[in-house]
Amino acid sequence: MKRGLLTTTVGSFAKPEWLQRARNRHAAGKVTDDDLAALTRQATKEVIDLQEELGLDVFVHGEMERGDMVAYFAEVMPGMRPGELVRSYGNRYYHKPVIEGELEWATPLTLDSWKHAQSLTKKPVKGMLTGPYTMVEWSFDEHYGSRKEAVLAMAKVLHREAAALAHAGAKIIQVDEPAIHTRPGEDFDLAVKAMEVVVKGVDAEFHTHICYGDIPRIYPGLLRLPVRQIHLAFKNTNFELLKLFERVAFDRSKDLGLGVIDVHNHLVESPKEVREGIRKALKHVPPERLWIEPDCGLKTRTPQEVREKLRVMVAARDDIRRTARR
Amino acid sequence: MRTTVVGSYPRVADSREGQRLRHAVAKWERRESSAAALRKVEVDVLQEVVREQASHGIDVVTDGGVTWYDPVSHFAAKLEGMEIGGLLRYFDTNTYYRQPRTRGRVRWLRAITVDDWMAASAASPVPVKAVLTGPYTLAAMSACPASKVADLQWDLAAAVGNEIDALVHAGAAHIQIDEPAFVLGKALPKGYDDLAREMLQGKGRAHTTLFVAFGGVGPFLPELLDLPFDALGLDLVQGKSTLDALRKVDTDKGIAFGLLDARSTRLEDPMAVAKVAYEFAGRVPLDRSQLCPSNGLEFLPRTRARDKLKVLVYAAKLVREATA
Repeated sequence: MKRGLLTTTVGSFAKPEWLQRARNRHAAGKVTDDDLAALTRQATKEVIDLQEELGLDVFVHGEMERGDMVAYFAEVMPGMRPGELVRSYGNRYYHKPVIEGELEWATPLTLDSWKHAQSLTKKPVKGMLTGPYTMVEWSFDEHYGSRKEAVLAMAKVLHREAAALAHAGAKIIQVDEPAIHTRPGEDFDLAVKAMEVVVKGVDAEFHTHICYGDIPRIYPGLLRLPVRQIHLAFKNTNFELLKLFERVAFDRSKDLGLGVIDVHNHLVESPKEVREGIRKALKHVPPERLWIEPDCGLKTRTPQEVREKLRVMVAARDDIRRTARR
Repeated sequence: MRTTVVGSYPRVADSREGQRLRHAVAKWERRESSAAALRKVEVDVLQEVVREQASHGIDVVTDGGVTWYDPVSHFAAKLEGMEIGGLLRYFDTNTYYRQPRTRGRVRWLRAITVDDWMAASAASPVPVKAVLTGPYTLAAMSACPASKVADLQWDLAAAVGNEIDALVHAGAAHIQIDEPAFVLGKALPKGYDDLAREMLQGKGRAHTTLFVAFGGVGPFLPELLDLPFDALGLDLVQGKSTLDALRKVDTDKGIAFGLLDARSTRLEDPMAVAKVAYEFAGRVPLDRSQLCPSNGLEFLPRTRARDKLKVLVYAAKLVREATA
């Protein structure tokens, strides 16, 4: 895989309506586990096929088996249980999990989904984990009572999962930490330490995704995260966030994931605005260290919007490459 | 000692019926239903939320903010001179707000929250408190050139003041102004007493509370008590330093004691809560004070919010019995 303006996505894809219906019926006991698993595999194949069709470089499995990036782990991780609905923002809600006991890794949590997706394509598929700080911050802790203790226990569990993914052949593992800026003064060091626990000794390239918070307050501190790529939601600020790099240059040993697609807007971006965003970023980071991505997971959009937005993203990247070759 | 809630309340529950507002909003966003159809569901849920609080014995309820996108953009979006931008984290919570941006001088055009307050009041057997985000917080959470922030605060104070007038005109007798952005500083923002006077000009006989959540205000608690509000509401869970500071004051102002953790599913012992509140007998007028959660309850699942209301009502009863 030759580096240089590689395209990928952040993790989730829109679930097809038939899968969402099946998930609802499964929750009501009207669809069996096996039938839901088969439908989930079918939806994953469609996500892989779409990424092939659009010409993305690094794939995701689309998280068809996950209702939410945190709640899913609560369904499968010993020590956690799924909770009840709590609002996240606007009209988005999630089943906020409860940490009710000692967190443990007994069996792989995400490996089957990754293996299935990777078996469908020759392109690399990222292993997708939610980071330890976000997992704890977005759960109710009824067991540990200390955020530090809970986050470090979670980090140990996720380390086992990352190791299992790498052992199975995952070359890139993304560990999302969208909550990392929740308490920048109080907890940032803890979040960095927890990430160190997750990645230590695991033979894979690590990426992280951070979005929708006070990034200036954690920059340049976030460069301490022991990952190869840091992805941020730039489109959300109309690329104003790039001004951070005027103050302190982006780390030369890291890649930057450039969010160029707003995942909270039905409107499809124009190729021109995506190209302009990429050009602005290229003033700060060379192409071989720049990745082109949406701002966040795509599950908030309809399947049609996902297709159109990603088509524009890839086309804009291709335009930039063509211009650079002239 | 009476009971109240701080503002927001869970707008969904896990059942299908409990998610009707969520589904109605999604349908409206997909342009599959009319604004009138959405409004019907909003009012239905808003009235359910009011009745739920009242049925648990809460003395002064709120509409739960069930129609608000977030505590900032809901109001700001309807002001002249503001446009709404991207998502940002709302304090140290795991919720997000849309950041307003100024496009020029900001001006109130029409009543923004009155319809919801009237719908809530129509369904409530007890008084409904209107809740507004204050001008300092609205300004702090907006994108605005540094040189224009003071103007923005004044414009927003006038806008919130107009909204208070409209609420009072509609019959609101209890109004709460939220200023969570105070916790981001170490002192009362300079000139806030003037902003408060501007804002409260038309309050008439309405009872006003200033509420500060998501952190501590211990270092400037005496200055907060001097502001021209009838009562002061405090987050005494995240703001542990505030509790220590409160132990040192003697005031004739009613206090809304935010002693129940509105962000944790762990349930408090009503006796322990009552004990803390009772400590203030003689130094705070408990007969004009209230017991409440530390902030809005929408950070909790609906079932746990109800459990918290039960604890709250029982703890207040214990305080009343102890002071009788």
